[in-house]
Amino acid sequence: MEDVMRLANSGVVWVIAILVLTVVIFQAIKFIMLAAGAGKEIGMSRKEVHSALKTGAIAGIGPSFAIIIVAISLIPLLGDPLTLMRIGIIGSAPIESVGATLGAEAYGTELGSSGFNYQAFTTVAWTLCLGGVGWLVFTALATKSMSRVEKKVTNKSEKSKKTMTIVTTAAMVAAFGNLASAEMIKGFAYVLVVLTSSLTMVLFTSLANKHQLNWLREWSLGFSIIAGLFVGYFAL
Amino acid sequence: MSVNPEKVEGEELSASTQEMAMEQFHGKAHFWGRLTLWSAIILTLSLPVILSFVLGYHPGWSAILAGFIAYGSIVAAVWFLEPMMYFPVLGVSGTYISFLTGNIGNMCLPSAAAAQHAIGAEPGTRKGEITATLGIGAASLVNKLFLIPIILGGSVLISTIPENIQRIFPLVLPAIFGGVLAQFAMKKPIYGVIALGVGLIVNMTSLVVYLKMLLCIMITIMICVWLEKRNVAKE
Repeated sequence: MEDVMRLANSGVVWVIAILVLTVVIFQAIKFIMLAAGAGKEIGMSRKEVHSALKTGAIAGIGPSFAIIIVAISLIPLLGDPLTLMRIGIIGSAPIESVGATLGAEAYGTELGSSGFNYQAFTTVAWTLCLGGVGWLVFTALATKSMSRVEKKVTNKSEKSKKTMTIVTTAAMVAAFGNLASAEMIKGFAYVLVVLTSSLTMVLFTSLANKHQLNWLREWSLGFSIIAGLFVGYFAL
Repeated sequence: MSVNPEKVEGEELSASTQEMAMEQFHGKAHFWGRLTLWSAIILTLSLPVILSFVLGYHPGWSAILAGFIAYGSIVAAVWFLEPMMYFPVLGVSGTYISFLTGNIGNMCLPSAAAAQHAIGAEPGTRKGEITATLGIGAASLVNKLFLIPIILGGSVLISTIPENIQRIFPLVLPAIFGGVLAQFAMKKPIYGVIALGVGLIVNMTSLVVYLKMLLCIMITIMICVWLEKRNVAKE
């Protein structure tokens, strides 16, 4: 086990992990620049662009903590660089741990057991990397076609444009309705946290609207998360 | 975009200029999106290839295949469903950036929604898509900013956080989802109620996770479209 970690934390694995991360960071910066440029052309003010960036950054803090916790639990099993690589891109943290377990089983051993040797680690790397590439390949190949289909639908008429907005909004609300429900059925504390955070959001948004406080709108999700966690702490 | 059939008046003209700008933006997004995605694909696959054939730890194809099939049977459907189901929300640029960044439900969508909420942009519009991309991009960078030092500096840091604080970490997700759901519910209370109702019912079933999501989205969309149609008919 000690031994396999030497491979898992070796230079080669680090180099690849860092290269992958560089691509992800480069893409984020490139897309922010592209979007900021296009935003100006469609009539968004500098202030709006700035506000969108700031709000996104604040909203990223809470989830990052949750992601890091899972990452930490994977490190002893997969080593630093592979964890960084898998969690840093496409990886949805819980799914990766399932993949790692299955990969080790396929080699006939278990993660962290004494039979987890170099070959077993390689099997896990294959499983996670092949499994994770599926999303990327589909997105790389199909996004253009999806955009064409969407345009066909929205170009028809004013009415179908309106329907598209309804569909989009409903899809977004539905996604969160489902995510929130999945958490709520886990127990009383979870229900309480969802409710607290929802009510805090309603409260802060009303305040922000009433007094025209833009900063409060930007921080409202952050505050809601903290309020939810605060109440949850006592309910657990 | 060929000819715009709309009348050439002041407002319409600016609409078609906007359309052009958006076209250009999408063109660039396709180019850079694909370039970065394919680079990530090649780099990702190079890791097991190097481990197997350069360093010589090849475990045999049968083990690799067994692992891949076991894992693939869980995630393969999601490879196709997720990008399609989130496309109307994320748009072209949002899709490229979200699927490379990962953590879509727990990070990308909430950030996109929060950013749109902050400046009052509707999802599915031009402004909505640009705003979503800005929000997701910023969140992704913040995420890396946290992730890198923690992984480098290590687990040590986390172990210094007291046990009773660590207990609340599982509650981070419900806190995020509740907040974002409320954001929408304030604008469209009916949608919020429907989505939560459908979500709760769907989650009582024992379907696989991704089917629950798909079902919830489809049913909610159908009900909302039907409701709006009925409202229009009434007027």
